[in-house]
Amino acid sequence: MSTITPTRRPTRRRVQARERREWLTAYLFVLPATLVIAVFGLFPIAYSVYMSLHRWRIRKGDFIGLSNYTSTFGDWWGAAAFFGGLLLILVAHWLWTDAFRGDRQGAPTYAKALGALTLLGAGVAIALGWGLMMEAGNRVYLNGLVRTVYYGFGSVPIQIALALVLATLLFQKIRGQQLFRMLYFLPYVTPAVAGAAIFRNIFSPREERLANQVLGWVGIEPQRWLFETRPVSQLLFGGLFPDASFTGFWAGPSLALVVVILFGIWTYTGYNAVIFLAGLGNIAPELYDAAAIDGADKRQQFRFITVPLLAPVTFYLTVLGFIGTFQAFTHLYVMRSGATRDAVDTASIVIFDTFYRRNDFSMAAAQSVILFVIILILTLMQNRFFGRRALGG
Amino acid sequence: MKIGRFVLAALLALLLASPAMAQEAVDYENVDPSGQTVTFWHQHSRERETALLEIVEEFNTTNEYGITVVAEYQGGYDDIFQKMVALLGTQDTPNIVVAYQNQAATYQLVDGLVDMTPLVESERWGLTQEDIDDFFPGFWQSDIFPSFDNQRLGIAPNRSMEMLYYNQSWLDELREQGLIDFEGPPTTPEQFEAAACAASENAFSGATATGRPYGYELSIDASRFASWTFAFGGNVYDAETNRYTLDDPGAIAAMEFLQGLFEKGCAVFVSEQYGDQTNFGAGRTLFTVSSSSGLPFYQSAVEAGAGFEWNVAAIPHTTPEPVMNVYGASVSLPAGHTPEETVAAWLFLKYYTGTEAQAAWATASQYFPVRESVAAGLTEFFESLPPYQTAFELLDYGIAEPNVPGYDFVRALIDSEMAAIMDGADVAETLTFANREANLILDDQMAQLD
Repeated sequence: MSTITPTRRPTRRRVQARERREWLTAYLFVLPATLVIAVFGLFPIAYSVYMSLHRWRIRKGDFIGLSNYTSTFGDWWGAAAFFGGLLLILVAHWLWTDAFRGDRQGAPTYAKALGALTLLGAGVAIALGWGLMMEAGNRVYLNGLVRTVYYGFGSVPIQIALALVLATLLFQKIRGQQLFRMLYFLPYVTPAVAGAAIFRNIFSPREERLANQVLGWVGIEPQRWLFETRPVSQLLFGGLFPDASFTGFWAGPSLALVVVILFGIWTYTGYNAVIFLAGLGNIAPELYDAAAIDGADKRQQFRFITVPLLAPVTFYLTVLGFIGTFQAFTHLYVMRSGATRDAVDTASIVIFDTFYRRNDFSMAAAQSVILFVIILILTLMQNRFFGRRALGG
Repeated sequence: MKIGRFVLAALLALLLASPAMAQEAVDYENVDPSGQTVTFWHQHSRERETALLEIVEEFNTTNEYGITVVAEYQGGYDDIFQKMVALLGTQDTPNIVVAYQNQAATYQLVDGLVDMTPLVESERWGLTQEDIDDFFPGFWQSDIFPSFDNQRLGIAPNRSMEMLYYNQSWLDELREQGLIDFEGPPTTPEQFEAAACAASENAFSGATATGRPYGYELSIDASRFASWTFAFGGNVYDAETNRYTLDDPGAIAAMEFLQGLFEKGCAVFVSEQYGDQTNFGAGRTLFTVSSSSGLPFYQSAVEAGAGFEWNVAAIPHTTPEPVMNVYGASVSLPAGHTPEETVAAWLFLKYYTGTEAQAAWATASQYFPVRESVAAGLTEFFESLPPYQTAFELLDYGIAEPNVPGYDFVRALIDSEMAAIMDGADVAETLTFANREANLILDDQMAQLD
C-alpha cells in the first residue's frame, strides 16, 4: 500500500484540478443567468417577505413580525390545519402509491387503507382550517383565494381537454390545417385588454347583446352575465329549491366568474392545442400502424397511444396553466366593474387593491407571499401526482 | 403575483424607504425664480392637451422671469398616481403634478407636497384678496386639507359637476300623455320617479335605438352615491370630526329611493362604458346623472342619434336649494425641489388659474373655470352650448367629496355596497357596515402620520 500511494496522489490532484477548472468554467457560464434570476426573481421574493414583516404603507415603519399574516389568516390554528391538510394530501398519495412498496408492484391493501384515511383526514383538516380562517381572518382576501381556485380548476382542465381534442383533429390530414391552427392560436396573441373588452360587450346584461340573443333563440331569459354576482348553482337550481341556501364554497362560482372562466378557456385552448400538436408530431406513426394491425380502432389508439405519450406535454401545460390562472390579472381587471362587486376579484386583484388603493404595501406583500406558497404547494402536488408518470420517473 | 409586480413593489419599497422628507419653512420672498425650467405632469390629451400647451406657450413667452414650463402627458390619473408614489422623496418628481384631493392627501402622508399657503399669502408672489374672492368658494376650499392642519396642497384649475341630463322632448311627450304633471326637468325625487317609471314603459317616439326604454340608467360609482346623498340633504363625510358618514339619514333615504326605482323597474345599471351616454343620445334613456365634463360628448351623442331637445339640471333634491357635487383634479407642487423651482412653478399656477387663461381653458376643455369673473368672457360659448350655461349657474351650490387619504379604497367599497343595495340588500344595514369599514380604512391611513 505504501508503495502505491505516492503514485496515486499526483493523478488524483491532476483530476481534481481539471475538474475544478471545469466547474469554474461551468459556474462562469451559469453566473449571468444566476445573477439575473437572483436579482429579478429571488431578491423581490425575499424583499416581499421582508416588507411583509414591517409596517409599510407609503413609507417603511416598524418591524411587526407576523402581524400581517395573523390578520390575514385570523387564526393560526386554522392556517396550520389548512396548510397541514394540503400537505396531508401529498402524504396520502405517498402512502397509496409508494410506502411499503419495496420490490412489489403497488402498495399493499393496508397501506392503501391508511392512505385513504389520511386523505379523509386531509379533507377534514382543510375544511376545519378554512372555516376557522374565514371566521377571524381577512375575508376579502380569503374569498379572493376561493375565486382563484374556482378560476383555476374551472378553466385549466377544460382548456387541456378541448386543446387535446382540437390538436388531434388538426393533426389529421385535412384541408386548411394551417388556417385552423392560426385561427385557434389567434386568441392567445390577442391583447388581453382587447379580448376582455370584447367579452364585456358580448356578455353585457343588455338583452340585445350576443350572449343574451343566443339564449333568446333557445327560449331562455336574458341573463345579467358579468353583473350577476349570484352563484351559478342558484341560478340553475334556485327555482327547484327555493328554500335552499346557495352560499359557501360548494355553491360554486358566480355567473360573472364563469364568464371570466370562459375567457380563460377561449384564450388558452388554441395555445395549448399548438403545443399538443408539437407533441403529436413526436409520436412515431409506426405505433399507430402496429396498433391498427392489432385491431385497435381510432378511439383505442387515442386512449392507449396518444394520451399516454402526450402525458409530458399535458403535465407541462397543466402546471403552467394553474400557475397562470393563479396569477391572472389583466382580463379580470378589465372585466370587473362596480356592479360586479367582488364577484371576479381573485387573489391577485385583491393584492393589487391592497397595494394601490389601500396603500398597504406590507399587507399586499404578505398576501403575495401566501399566494406564492399556495402556488408552490399546488405545483408540488401536481409534480407528485402526475410528474413521475408524465416524465417517466 | 407576477415577478414583474414583485419587482415593482420592491423598487417602490426601496425608493420609499429613503428617510422621511421633512419639510422646512422656506422664505419665498427673497427667492429669484429667473431662468428656471419646471416640468408639469398632466393627464390631458387631444384637444385639451393642445389648449393646455397653448397656455403653457403663452406663459413661457410672456413671463418676465424667463421661466420655462415643460408640460408632459403622463397617462391617466391612476398612471400619474402610481408614478408619483414611486418617486416621492426623490428629485425626480415633477415640479407640478395633477392630483385628485385624495391622491394629494396620500402624497402628503410622507410630506410629499409643498404647502402652498405661504405662496398664496406671499406679498411678492401671492394672490390678492380680490383674486381669492373671485374663486368659487367651494373650489377654493376643496384643496385645503383639515386632516393635514389646513395645509393647502393644491389649487384648482378647473372643476366638473354631477348633473342630471334629461331628454326634454320625451318629457313633453309624457306630459302630453298625462303620465307626468310637471314642466321642465324634475326638481323633486317624486317627479323624477314618476317620469322615470313612465318612460320605462312608454318609449320615446323619436328613439333611434331598439330595445326596451330606460327611465334612468345608474352607473355604480361613489360620486353618484355622493351626489344623491347631497341631494337628499346628507353628506358622506364630516370635516369637523374627520369621520365618514355613509350611514347618514340622507344617504339612507337616497339609496332607498334608488333601490325603489330598481325594484319598480324604473332604473337599470349602466352596463357598458358610456352606455348611458349612447342610450341617451339614441333616445332610449330619459335620465342619466353624469359629470358636466361629458357635455360635449352628450351633445355629439344626441346630434348623431335622435336629435331631440335636451338639457341638464340639478339632481332632484329634497333640500330647499340644490346641493351639487363638484369635483376635479387640482394641481399640486411636489416637495424636494429648490425654492427657486417651487416659486417658478407657483407663478405658472397663478397664471394658469388667472382670469385670462381660465377663459381660454374653459372654452377649450369645456370644464368649468374656477373664477366667477370668467363668465363675462364666455358669452359666446354659453350660446353655443346652452346646457353649459345652465350648469355654470349651479356652481354656487357645489360641495366636494372628502379629500382624505385612502378615499380611492373607500370609493371601491361604496361601489360594492351600492351595487348590493340595488340588488336588494337592506339599505341601513349595508350603509352601517360600509361606514364602519370606511372609517377603519381612514384610521388605517391616518395612522401613518403617527
